[in-house]
Amino acid sequence: MNVHLPSAPKGPARIGIGGPVGSGKTALIERLLPALARRGIEVAVITNDLVTREDAERVRRSGLIDPGRVRAVEAGACPHTVIREDPTLNIAAAEDLEARYPGLDLILLESGGDNLASTFSLDLVDWWMFVIDVGQGDDIPRKRGPGIVQSDLLVINKLDLAPYVHVNADQVLTEAAGVRKGRALLGCACRPHGRAASDQADGIEAIIDLIVRDVLFTDIPAEVQGEA
Amino acid sequence: MILEHILGAVTDPWIAAPLHRLEHQDAVETVTLSREDMSRKRLRACTDKGTEVAIALDRASALFDGAVLLLDDRAAIVLRMEPEEWLCLRPRDLTEAISVGFFAGNLHWRVRFGDGQLQVALERERAVYLERLADRLADGRITLIDGDQP
Ligand SMILES: Nc1nc2c(ncn2[C@@H]2O[C@H](COP(=O)(O)OP(=O)(O)O)[C@@H](O)[C@H]2O)c(=O)[nH]1
Ligand SMILES: [Mg+2]
Repeated sequence: MNVHLPSAPKGPARIGIGGPVGSGKTALIERLLPALARRGIEVAVITNDLVTREDAERVRRSGLIDPGRVRAVEAGACPHTVIREDPTLNIAAAEDLEARYPGLDLILLESGGDNLASTFSLDLVDWWMFVIDVGQGDDIPRKRGPGIVQSDLLVINKLDLAPYVHVNADQVLTEAAGVRKGRALLGCACRPHGRAASDQADGIEAIIDLIVRDVLFTDIPAEVQGEA
Repeated sequence: MILEHILGAVTDPWIAAPLHRLEHQDAVETVTLSREDMSRKRLRACTDKGTEVAIALDRASALFDGAVLLLDDRAAIVLRMEPEEWLCLRPRDLTEAISVGFFAGNLHWRVRFGDGQLQVALERERAVYLERLADRLADGRITLIDGDQP
């Protein structure tokens, strides 16, 4: 009684990138784009800004991606509403991109930047990360906002700046691990000062490894369901 | 293995019979997910027998307790939701009922009502909730019900 079904038209995975303004969400996207391309992963980007299209324009002009694959959603006054309570604008933007670029593997969705309380609706994204940086103080993980505790991955960015803002990077990472209780946590430096942004110590590849494992599944051989 | 379809529910007649047969052969595996993970379309999980699976559904499908993700002559994979825990609170009087109801809503707690109680779904550690309720518990405005002690 085997059940043979065609591969489902499930479309690209959707990933949310949240975190306070200035923590490096757009910088991370700028680093992920070429690194994902090197692995043959087809990507599109949606940015959420309050009332401008600043981030979308920045990504379009970066030369890292076909500008048509970047959409802007204006969040209005409340950046968390459009990723949690009522994500319809973002869902529409994602569906638009999916229709226009059928080969997409992944859509990255940057939130407008919020406090530590922002979370993504799982109706909108499959998986989401929260980006904070060491410049916000070494006590940030201890503040345990929902973004820090509940995200699928917590990224602590700007590790290169730790010595200049009186922060012990190892200690922040250890404390964050304690708060996360086994959930994924990675440190990185998207734009390390005075270092080539492509060195192996910057943490970008580790972030992509996790995305591949948790939502892209390209490491799993395709097997027909019902023929295990 | 990537599971892309929900084939049906354990209670569907055409599934129940073969599933029952596979159960006797100890060939049914279960994936148990938290309520939060149940609302995902894509995730990686492990069955109770240690088989690693990836679930990747189309956006219109939704996981549910009792969903069957694999069914053939040799094996089946069934999805189960982790039982939820609820904190059961009885308010002392009407004034407190209104007050604690507003308080829970303000904190975005998921609640249900029943039996004169306000019941709060525990989506984080119990201590996090008890901490917020400490004042009310201390002066008896609310009481914890049913061996539901801190
Ligand atoms: N030194 C350093 N600066 C960074 C790093 N990542 C981002 N920045 C800078 O932080 C500022 C805010 O970054 P941006 O990506 O716009 O933050 P967003 O608001 O979260 O999107 C920019 O000036 C970036 O150049 C990093 O790893 N190290
Ligand atoms: Mg930005």
